[in-house]
Amino acid sequence: MNDDYAIRVRNLYKTFDEVQAVRDVSLDVRPGEIFSLLGPNGAGKSTTISMLACLLEPTAGDAYVMGHSILHEQMAVKSSIGVVPQEIALYEDLSARENLSFWGKMYGLRGERLRQRIDEVLEIIGLAQRQKGPVANFSGGMKRRLNIGVALLHRPDVLILDEPTVGIDPQSRRNILDSVQEFNRQGMTVLYTTHYMEEAQEISDHIAIMDQGEIIAYGTHDELVQIVGELDRIDLTLSTPPGQEEIRAALIQTWRQLDRVHQVSTAGHETITTEAGSPAEQSPDFEAAVDHSGLTLLVGDSNLVLPDLFETAVAVGARITSVDIQEPNLEAVFLHLTGRALRD
Amino acid sequence: MKALDIAMRDLLHTLRTPFTLIMMFGAPLLIAGLLFFAFGSMTGGGEDLDLQTIQVTVANLDRAEVQGGGFAAGELLIEFLRSDDLSDLLAVEIVDDEATARANVAGQRAHVAVIIPGGLSAVATTPGQEATVVLYPDPTLTIAPGIVQDLVSQFIDGFAGAKITAEITGQQFEARGVPAGPALLQGAATQYAGWLETTGHHQEGADPLVDLRPPATEGEPAEQDAGIIAGIMGGMIVFFTFFVGAMGAESIVREEEEGTLPRLFTTPTPRTSILAGKFTAILLALVVQIAVLLVASSLIFGITWGRRPTVLLVSVALTVAAAGFGIFVMSFVQSTRQTGPVLGSVLTLTGMLGGLFTQGIPNIPELFNVVNLVVPQGWAMRAWDLSLAGAGPAGVLLPVAALLGMGLLFFAVGALLFRRRFA
Repeated sequence: MNDDYAIRVRNLYKTFDEVQAVRDVSLDVRPGEIFSLLGPNGAGKSTTISMLACLLEPTAGDAYVMGHSILHEQMAVKSSIGVVPQEIALYEDLSARENLSFWGKMYGLRGERLRQRIDEVLEIIGLAQRQKGPVANFSGGMKRRLNIGVALLHRPDVLILDEPTVGIDPQSRRNILDSVQEFNRQGMTVLYTTHYMEEAQEISDHIAIMDQGEIIAYGTHDELVQIVGELDRIDLTLSTPPGQEEIRAALIQTWRQLDRVHQVSTAGHETITTEAGSPAEQSPDFEAAVDHSGLTLLVGDSNLVLPDLFETAVAVGARITSVDIQEPNLEAVFLHLTGRALRD
Repeated sequence: MKALDIAMRDLLHTLRTPFTLIMMFGAPLLIAGLLFFAFGSMTGGGEDLDLQTIQVTVANLDRAEVQGGGFAAGELLIEFLRSDDLSDLLAVEIVDDEATARANVAGQRAHVAVIIPGGLSAVATTPGQEATVVLYPDPTLTIAPGIVQDLVSQFIDGFAGAKITAEITGQQFEARGVPAGPALLQGAATQYAGWLETTGHHQEGADPLVDLRPPATEGEPAEQDAGIIAGIMGGMIVFFTFFVGAMGAESIVREEEEGTLPRLFTTPTPRTSILAGKFTAILLALVVQIAVLLVASSLIFGITWGRRPTVLLVSVALTVAAAGFGIFVMSFVQSTRQTGPVLGSVLTLTGMLGGLFTQGIPNIPELFNVVNLVVPQGWAMRAWDLSLAGAGPAGVLLPVAALLGMGLLFFAVGALLFRRRFA
């Protein structure tokens, strides 16, 4: 197999009972790059990397890690990779050092080499001072760092991280992203899965966007954004009299027919009813309560479109109470390709 | 090597978990100790642990009706209960009437009241006449009244023989045209009773209803004590080794949930090594558990478990069986939430079937001793019983072979199911 790539995936499928979790996934990861799999929960990211880590056997297809087949050379593949699972996978009754010692032995390290690597990793993850305390007493951030440290012990060629920032505080998240970039600078190839668009955008050399088991877009950040061209994304809040869904439906219909509006989506938004508060809401039509509903639009030029939006809203008895305009990004790409937001 | 690393890590986890430690060492000793004291320190070993004497109060209403040194069934029963053989077990007090006897039991001055009915002697010599010996036990006791009931039943069985003797004697005389008076019939019954007494109140070759053994002494393994506490402790050891075996196997399910098992699978460690490591950890934990329990129970309860090679052989077989059974049971468990109910039900059921909770209870039907060999716990208990009775290694080969065979079979099936699950 071609060794020019750290990872080559060819027509990979995984089916659980009747559900096709991964469908015809093919991708190439070059040595020394950070490659992100971006997609919402259930897109098939974790299933894909579980197959690359030899945890799951593909239903069809094959993949090669550092030139080794995941079907036929599993031990060689496992020696080449370090896997950081999404959930913390440590022995809480052991200390940080004991954990690293145990996992190091599982990667074949022994004796002085093992001790040396443990000391180095403890320095890298900043836990040298806490190495003897039981992991059960660690904070969530410290556990995350140790969780990553375990995967670094044997200096893997490829580091695979499965959504390592889920459910942690911003500071720990920042530390993890900085660490991943530092590992990469030291020559490690990184395969990173996330459903946070900003993370993929910040650290990745290449990004594959996954949805419903398939790769729907693939390229650098700039290449992906070109898919939506110069489209702006507008998130706005619409206020209507309570219970009058038809006003909202009519307005969406009207906006879809405007020249510069490419897409109108209600996905990821819900309607909330509140007391009328702002002057805009206090009109005879609105009485005492107001329905607030969010909408997302992809538009050609937001400055030219916005007056039309306000005008048509007033015409049907609705109010636009907030507007957020964003430059083209991966979120817009996903919306453009699927009609749904990444967070859905 | 990696398997050993996994085994040592698991063993460390086991020895650091308070609940597991309690179930390994504390619970079996505590339960056996509680039963030991509840049953009045009935033990077969240890010089300091004497049998508690059963206080029996007897109202002999038959006494008044016996005349002139004839056949006196009531007196014979009292004599039997006061015999030298039973002097360590029973303390017999004679009272004048039934009310006094029952009052003694109600006032907890006696464990059992025996009421010998008037006319008991006449039953032996007068065809068609009936009388019933009545026992009033202390309702809070089970063992002591059971023993007294057995002894009285044993006597009555012999008494029935005296009655038959008198009847046959009468028929023989009448067949020859000689009238058989009461004195003649009483004489026949008395002769039979005398013969019965000299032969030890039971027919030669028949099993006695109560068999009391002296405490075992060093150097006389054949005389090993298989007393109640030894049996109870044996049952506890078997039950809790199977429990710890299953708890050890539970680590596979727990680590699957906690993510450490899938992470192990991402390392260059063969799955066979991982499972071998888990199994080794269970074996090591069981070896430690059995060794500690045997030594501790010897020191605390004075139990002599048998000859050392036999004890070693039985311990090894028990270890393999408990570990294999644990792997097998846990291979059906999908989550740690299922562990409690599954372990509780399976181990209790198989423990009951294996006779672990009926040690020391008299008169267990023979069929039960066959049925309990369906489960490994039954074989384990049989192996301990043989060891306690002083059997040599050759004497326990059958139960040991059964335990090893069952253990390896359970392990093979459990390992296969786990491999399929993680394939």
